[in-house]
Amino acid sequence: MLSPESTPILEATDLKVSFSTRGGIIRAVDGLSFAVGAKETVGIVGESGSGKSVAMYTMLGLTRDANVSISGSVRFQGQEILGLSDTQMRPIRGGQIGMIFQDPMTALTPVYKVGWQIVEQLRAHTDLTKQQARARAIELLGEVGIPDPGRRVDSYPHEFSGGMRQRVVIAMALSCNPKLLIADEPTTALDVTTQAQILDLMTRLQENYGSSIIIITHDMGVIAEMADRVVVMYAGRPAEIGPEIDVVRNPQHPYTWGLLGAVPRTGVRTERLATIPGNAVTPLNVPEGCAFAPRCSFVMDQCATRPALHGDADHLNACWLSPAQKVELRGKVLRGEIDA
Amino acid sequence: MPDDILLRGTNIVKTFVLRGGAMGSKRVVTAVNGVDLEVRRGETFGIVGESGCGKSTLARCLVQLQPVTSGSIEFDGVDITTLSRRAMRPIRRNLQLVFQDPYASLNPRRTVGDIVADPMRVNKVGTKDEIMDRVGELFVLVGLDKSYLNRYPHEFSGGQRQRIGIARSLSLNPSLVIADEPVSALDVSVQAQVLNLMADLQEELQLTYVFIAHDLGVVRHVSDRVGVMYLGQMVEVGDADDLYDLPHHPYTEALLSVVPELNDTDAPKRERILISGDVPDPSDRPSGCSFHPRCPVATEKCKVETPTLVTLTTGRQVACHYPRNLSN
Repeated sequence: MLSPESTPILEATDLKVSFSTRGGIIRAVDGLSFAVGAKETVGIVGESGSGKSVAMYTMLGLTRDANVSISGSVRFQGQEILGLSDTQMRPIRGGQIGMIFQDPMTALTPVYKVGWQIVEQLRAHTDLTKQQARARAIELLGEVGIPDPGRRVDSYPHEFSGGMRQRVVIAMALSCNPKLLIADEPTTALDVTTQAQILDLMTRLQENYGSSIIIITHDMGVIAEMADRVVVMYAGRPAEIGPEIDVVRNPQHPYTWGLLGAVPRTGVRTERLATIPGNAVTPLNVPEGCAFAPRCSFVMDQCATRPALHGDADHLNACWLSPAQKVELRGKVLRGEIDA
Repeated sequence: MPDDILLRGTNIVKTFVLRGGAMGSKRVVTAVNGVDLEVRRGETFGIVGESGCGKSTLARCLVQLQPVTSGSIEFDGVDITTLSRRAMRPIRRNLQLVFQDPYASLNPRRTVGDIVADPMRVNKVGTKDEIMDRVGELFVLVGLDKSYLNRYPHEFSGGQRQRIGIARSLSLNPSLVIADEPVSALDVSVQAQVLNLMADLQEELQLTYVFIAHDLGVVRHVSDRVGVMYLGQMVEVGDADDLYDLPHHPYTEALLSVVPELNDTDAPKRERILISGDVPDPSDRPSGCSFHPRCPVATEKCKVETPTLVTLTTGRQVACHYPRNLSN
């Protein structure tokens, strides 16, 4: 949990990323600010095209290209990392910030043994000798729950199942004791029993290593399981930010209502799912005002102006509705009586 | 008529032979291993399971896109596994499939109007004008604008394409629609739109659905009854709400306990039962109960004796030597 006094591990301020394409300028991330405290897990949730992955890749300096313009600030342990060169980023990426990707097959090189891949990373970031690094790799594989790690260290990625591969990726991400772990849809490609194993593993390792985690997902259930705080993104902009419990139980933005009400539960039967009319936004034609306005059932004149994030203390939202209107309309949306 | 069975599968087995293993060896994969199922007219029968459990293969067998290795499938009282292609054709009109991937299941070189009209043309239903009128009707029915008829699939979003796939499946007025993961490729808000649409269509057209998905929440939401599959077998079948509230098979129980859920009420959470390991290779099936190597309550008996699907007094069917959560 974030205590207000502690300096955040990572702090993004007004991050903007846009791509110039033949079709026009795509504002993939448009004014994202959030902070990750020590040992805190922040969930970033949104549908495809909401800019959640682009924001993370940009923070790591992985979106640099002539057609990309980036502005704002990203501070990692107090240091500005947004403008750093690749050489300067190298000790941070993979060293102090670990990454877990969605598809463990493409995150691993198919032509090298998994042990080799972990050793390479360890040797790039630490002073370990080859033998020490190999010993550490075996230790790490054991720690992430791979049976018989002494033998499996010499297996190729294709010899593992999806869940086991994701464990290898996690072992790599943790190999240099990162301060921050960025997990981009880490369980989306996995079955539910495997997902449970991986989420459990991430939680356990977070306790042991004391890392902070940013978890990017489209699944509100995963957010509920993992996150201390949530950033709900829509069209590259934060729609709502707050402690997980507040966002789930007291959501303020009509988009969040739609997202929550649209999820069928296993615990209770939902009679009618809430829906959001229209399709997920294409970041090409984001309106000047509120980005959600074209799909929002409660649009008003004010929505032509972009609402600033506002709210109580640490629970912020970007919606012009009054608090009383929100309470009234939210209930109807969540019960599936009206569209979000 | 609650006991009016529209589709009955008896001991359905589907095996695939894989060649070209080490030294030219053959491996036999039993994808579906003796499944019995009954789908009642007008209901939604949900089939849930993890990847590799055989649920998609079962779907393809049910509509005879793939021949079964053994067993029978009765549709409306007729065993369709023994029919010739020609004899199957009129029956197939009543038996339609909605596919998982809305990108791969529509021909990119044909207009969406043609795609929806094709089943009617192939089956010679009505004149040209009648067919085009019907296509227009179907578009309205699934919530698409008629003016889109002459566009191509790439001009549509995933949710719209799935609506087109649904319109195509309904074009011949089927009585049974088998939907294989129809919403798993969609974003959650769009998924909800398609699920609501399917519910409306079922009511309006009195359809029977077999709804296959890996998402446990989705399956509970749509289904009247649910079958849980593991490694090619039905391990538990029952009324959806009862089965979710009181799972009897240890696999169902574990599966339900680990679904990440929103904690937006003060209701107590299910106790998490983490099962270890992965689903075994279906070509190298464990002895006895297929689930025993991962089962938290397995005994020696489970390693030797294969449990059969037995029907309890409550109507629930479960294939386990030690069913859980039984009252008394």
